Amino acid sequence: MRSSKATAFVLALPWIVTFGIFWLFPLLYSFAIGFTDYQLLARDYHWVGLANYANLFSDPAFLAAIKNTFIFVGGTIPFTTVIALAMALLLNRSFKGRGLFRATYFLPSITSMVVIALIFTNLYSRGGYVACLAQLIGFTPPEYGFLYDRGTALYSIMAMDVWMSVGYYMLIFLAGLKAIPDELYEAAEISGAGRVRQFFSITLPLLRPVMLFILVINSIKSFQVFVEIFVMTKGKFDTATMVYFIYDSGLTTHFSFGYASAAAYVLFVIIGLFSILQFFLLRRRQPLW
Amino acid sequence: MVRPRRFAWVKYTALIAGLIIMVFPLLWMFRVALMDAGAGISLANIASSQFTLDNFADLFTQNNIGRYLFNSIAVGLAVTVGNILFCFMVAYALARYRFLTNRLVFISVVVVLMIPAHIIIIPLYVLTLKAGIYDTYWALILPWLVNPIGIFLVKQYLESVPPSMEEAARMDGAGEFRILFTIVMPLCKPALAVLSIQVFFTNWNSFLFPYILTQSDNVRTLPVALALFQGHQAIDWQHLMAGSAIAVLPVLILFAIVQKQIVSGITAGAIKQ
Repeated sequence: MRSSKATAFVLALPWIVTFGIFWLFPLLYSFAIGFTDYQLLARDYHWVGLANYANLFSDPAFLAAIKNTFIFVGGTIPFTTVIALAMALLLNRSFKGRGLFRATYFLPSITSMVVIALIFTNLYSRGGYVACLAQLIGFTPPEYGFLYDRGTALYSIMAMDVWMSVGYYMLIFLAGLKAIPDELYEAAEISGAGRVRQFFSITLPLLRPVMLFILVINSIKSFQVFVEIFVMTKGKFDTATMVYFIYDSGLTTHFSFGYASAAAYVLFVIIGLFSILQFFLLRRRQPLW
Repeated sequence: MVRPRRFAWVKYTALIAGLIIMVFPLLWMFRVALMDAGAGISLANIASSQFTLDNFADLFTQNNIGRYLFNSIAVGLAVTVGNILFCFMVAYALARYRFLTNRLVFISVVVVLMIPAHIIIIPLYVLTLKAGIYDTYWALILPWLVNPIGIFLVKQYLESVPPSMEEAARMDGAGEFRILFTIVMPLCKPALAVLSIQVFFTNWNSFLFPYILTQSDNVRTLPVALALFQGHQAIDWQHLMAGSAIAVLPVLILFAIVQKQIVSGITAGAIKQ
């Protein structure tokens, strides 16, 4: 077994190289330029200390992006989770046609985000399908369409996001439900506990780890919302989120790499706090490594 | 467990309502894609307009969609092949060898799993620019040739494969790499199938990185082209939806065929309680 260490190193090399070049280096590099005024077209750049961070927190566009991101995360996750759980409960027992329902509910999760955003841009447009539905139930739709109105644009995108992601979390809930032993329900049945009681005393407590997992991965994902915003509103009408702000300040007109990198690190810290939360909440049940 | 289901009809109503809500936007897309290009998108036209395949034909004759399709397929295949090979190699190292570097590698995999990828868009842009691979296929392929979820997936599978066959082959004097690729890799086929489907789908639908790391038509992938297709004053919905349908159809067909692998790929990464 002389060569085994060398062999293992060679086998792990693709990851070591990828990690070094495409993860570790970018992370360190953007941390460093977050303290400079580096711009694409500038001849040289200077150390500016914490100026970028100070400017960020007095930049109305950045503060609005934080606000919009939190509205998005806080407004979608409860709905996504509850609807996904309800779907999973409906599909937990086997019946004729279950596979069809499950597959259909899951369809949006494998459909391109860009395509979904385009379809909904059409549905939300002026005089479009959703506007007609709204009129039907006696609600006056925004004059230029749902995406061209400060009051409805972000919420319309959020509704689409819930529609799109429930199927994915439903699958995870279903896997969690499957892991609950049938004997528990049988015992509950024998001792006379009804459906509702069973749900609150057996299903919900035993789903806790799955629930936490879903909440945290969904928030990590939702904090990074970008594609929908880019395709549907280009950040206009109060819809710019944090990743949109990073993109907009770093990769359009001014290419302010330093400023955008600092913004990225603010987002990193926010998401990092949620990851740590995940680690601590899940640790007791299942060691990560 | 048989009890009278008084509320069965409530359940079915809810399920069918859900089905309609979930499938409606996709049907809408296909309907608009098949509409006469001149017609406005009104409910009346949606209901009454004739079906035509002209929009699809237009895309191939008057638009560059053939090129975008080719780019998406080429990049997707390259990334998928890379992941099959590299995720397997790394997973094997993690599953079968024990030493310090190995532990560090594992920790780095977990770290990347938790890092939000969108925060590296700026440095990755600068990196590809400086490395001279900005706006080339390389920028779309190199960073994604091996991924942490894939490594986990294969590693978990490998841990359930007994090492006895490898040991027997080693006794017979077979080299490490020969054992790896001729004996172990075929045993991992189910995990590698799940991995490749997942990687191909993710890549096929990916937008942000292909968008920021390219600028010319020659390397543009389908989702990027679709997102940039609009933006003029009046949107040409019929052609845009036809292009969208072309992006969605392969996924739908593949999903119908290999639904099981897709579902297990998704839950494998998620559930380990």
